[in-house]
Amino acid sequence: MNSNKKFFLMITGIIGMVIFWISWVSMNPADEKAMTTFVSVDELINDNINRRSKLGGLVKDGSIAISKTNYLDCTFVLKEGNAELNVKYGRTRPDLFKDGVEVIVTGEYLNGVFYADELQTKCASRYEGDLRNESSYNLNEIDS
Amino acid sequence: MIDFIRDYGLILILFIIPVIFALQPLFLPRIEKMHIQLDVAELKRKKLLIYRQIKELEMEYDIGNINENDFISGRATLKKEVSEVIAALKSL
Amino acid sequence: MTPIAGGVALNLAFGFSILTVITLFLHTRNGDQRLFLTGQRLALGISFFVFLATFILAFQLIQSNFDIDYVARYTSLETPFIYKISALWAGQSGSLLFWLFILSIYTTIVILQNQRKHNSLMPWVIITLVIVQIFFLILTNYVTNPFKPTDADFIVTNGNGLNPLLQNVTMAIHPPTLYLGFVGFSVPFGFAISALINGDTSPLWVQSIRRWALVAWLFLSMGIILGGWWAYRELGWGGYWAWDPVENASFMPWLTATAFIHSIIIQEKKDMLRLWNMSLIIMTFTLCIFGTFLTRSGVMSSVHSFTASSLGPIFLTFVFLIIVVSFGLMYFRRNELKSVRKMESFTSRESGFLFNNMVFVVLCFSVFWGTLFPVISEAVRGTKITVGPPFFNQMNIPIGLILLALTGVGPLLAWRKTGRKSLIRNFTFPILTGLSTAIILLFVGFRGYVIISFSLGAFVTATIGTEFARGIYARRKKFNESIIKALIRMVSKNRSRYGGYVVHLGIVFMFVGFTGHAFDDEKEFSLTVGETDHVAGYTFELMKLSEAERPNHYAWISDLRVTNQEGKFVTNLHPEKRIYFHNNPDPNRRQPHSELDIYTTMNQDIYSIFSGVDSENGVAFIKIMVNPLVRWVWVGGFILVFGTMVALWPRKD
Repeated sequence: MNSNKKFFLMITGIIGMVIFWISWVSMNPADEKAMTTFVSVDELINDNINRRSKLGGLVKDGSIAISKTNYLDCTFVLKEGNAELNVKYGRTRPDLFKDGVEVIVTGEYLNGVFYADELQTKCASRYEGDLRNESSYNLNEIDS
Repeated sequence: MIDFIRDYGLILILFIIPVIFALQPLFLPRIEKMHIQLDVAELKRKKLLIYRQIKELEMEYDIGNINENDFISGRATLKKEVSEVIAALKSL
Repeated sequence: MTPIAGGVALNLAFGFSILTVITLFLHTRNGDQRLFLTGQRLALGISFFVFLATFILAFQLIQSNFDIDYVARYTSLETPFIYKISALWAGQSGSLLFWLFILSIYTTIVILQNQRKHNSLMPWVIITLVIVQIFFLILTNYVTNPFKPTDADFIVTNGNGLNPLLQNVTMAIHPPTLYLGFVGFSVPFGFAISALINGDTSPLWVQSIRRWALVAWLFLSMGIILGGWWAYRELGWGGYWAWDPVENASFMPWLTATAFIHSIIIQEKKDMLRLWNMSLIIMTFTLCIFGTFLTRSGVMSSVHSFTASSLGPIFLTFVFLIIVVSFGLMYFRRNELKSVRKMESFTSRESGFLFNNMVFVVLCFSVFWGTLFPVISEAVRGTKITVGPPFFNQMNIPIGLILLALTGVGPLLAWRKTGRKSLIRNFTFPILTGLSTAIILLFVGFRGYVIISFSLGAFVTATIGTEFARGIYARRKKFNESIIKALIRMVSKNRSRYGGYVVHLGIVFMFVGFTGHAFDDEKEFSLTVGETDHVAGYTFELMKLSEAERPNHYAWISDLRVTNQEGKFVTNLHPEKRIYFHNNPDPNRRQPHSELDIYTTMNQDIYSIFSGVDSENGVAFIKIMVNPLVRWVWVGGFILVFGTMVALWPRKD
């Protein structure tokens, strides 16, 4: 075999290995936290999805309740459109977490309550559209 | 009113000057000589780069990254290239 | 100057850009040198107007002219001066103008530097750069204009102000540094396109753009590291890299760019890999634009993303155009791109470089796949999936380790073919070093990737040491110099090579830092004054809990005393819980923020977060993370930057 053919075969072999490796990892993630399905609140409740899921929505105004016995524990209601879901979360709450804020929760759904172990709020805004996180973009006249 | 004149006047000046600057070459007679000046600079640069490559080849040989045959043939090729460039420069 | 001047300047820049392309194109048709001069000057005119527009916007920000929507959104009267300036790139339209501003600086430098050089290439280089400028000029003129007036029916007396989370120095430097990197790759790209159009594939242009590519690479590297540094110090989740789509968007071009600056050495020395290099620089530039698009389009739901705007389709169109035109040109010139010489042996430096390149591209593809997998999955199966760090880590750690190994192997190979004797002589010491490290670690009790990573790190360090030693030895034999003199002269005469080795050392340090993750530990707990808790062998005692009212925020301060297992004092930590705008009548505008305190040594970081407070009962809620070896990442970053500067240090011509 001349060197060109050897070279070509080697490249093909490597590409083959790469495709195999990437496909294999994609189909067999070692960690259950590697890939999570994003579902809507409606789907979660109607289909009673038990596997690990991710949901997005807004924190319903006034729904945040912090446990009196353990400051880290809290419950709130996640609102997506008209659908609502009770969420329980037991870790350090992000600074931006408050009424009306857009959040993404990850965890499991059991007996009507969503047990979240991850809670993310959208990043401090830098570009248009995210200003809803900084409270509505509202230029108030301030008495001078 | 003064603001208006100041702003738009400033804009006008800032607009006109670049336009004049940009269009000026078009009024010169057609230039051919530029080519030769530029070619000399190009060749000088090429010569410098080849000399650097020869030096680097010598260093690689000293360290042992190239075997003797490759070094001799490589250096010969580069020396031939450089003499071509020097000849071209002389003719300009 | 009123903001109207700013809008007009942008318009004029756009007009000039169209004229530039037309003029230079005509020049390429009829060779009239006057058209070339005019075209160059028109291009400089574009830069002039872009600079003008940028300075006007900056001026409006400093003057707090809230009649401009952009100024009102991102600053307020209270915003400190430095952040009024950095607001220039804080918002969408401003950042696009800033991109354009940097591109104009680069274009100006390229034009002025090359007035006497590369005469055949320059027209198309300038045309390409100006076309990229046109794209951004269209965006800033007609889609998202930074000079848009405020849309309010009352006089705005104070603006929104910049989010306190963004008010720190790193956040001010990180975007410009990244942009200097992203935009910097336009120049090598421009040269590549020009070379394709002219059918000129000689190594001459390659030498010119190698420096440009290295400068852009330096800025991109710094930008990425700064981003990680900021995330670690300010965001409070204890990490510096989350495989977030926006992070990945900056990492992908970095990977192909790194491959490029390596393989371009081969093209310079041996005139091989032309086709490959051309593809790499096109891919790098495309990924830069694509990355800019990913950050703005809302396609990816990421911590950074924005709502979908009309920007997305426009960017995608531009990316599509770049790919079609570039690869079309490459196909058109495929004969000129065929390599003159063939790869001869697998144990040659050339093949070592090629292997390394392939691994970089594989890694880039892997990150690309992971980033876009959710989008593809949604399009194909309809389910929305998110892909988290464990997925990326599982895929990329093995690939990264292969790369680390190659970093050591490459420099020890000879050009064309490495003889058996040389192989043995060069590889014995490094391999022994690596193996003994592995054995010691196994003995101590480590397992898995940790062993591989540290052993390879030792291996690569040994090869770098060997390379320096060989070079010094050769010089001493030939010139009889002292060790120090030989070292200095050797590095001075081969700045790229030895600067590069220093960069590799920096990478080894960073890998050591990354490996520290395997030993991360954390714990959340509550303390009242006098109580203690333990994490990872350390004891934390809450000494004091106090409050303070400061100019723009209110703070709860915890005083933690840290002692180690033997009871010896380690340090005091003072994490704070702050509320910004605490006096604002609207509770929604009050911004809580945890100010971390980190105790860092080369061994590990003790990372403390004041998560919450029950002031009635004097209870502080604390989260402690013990992160080993993190400092190695930052030290490695410095070494990397230092090495690149050595490589870039100009020589007297």
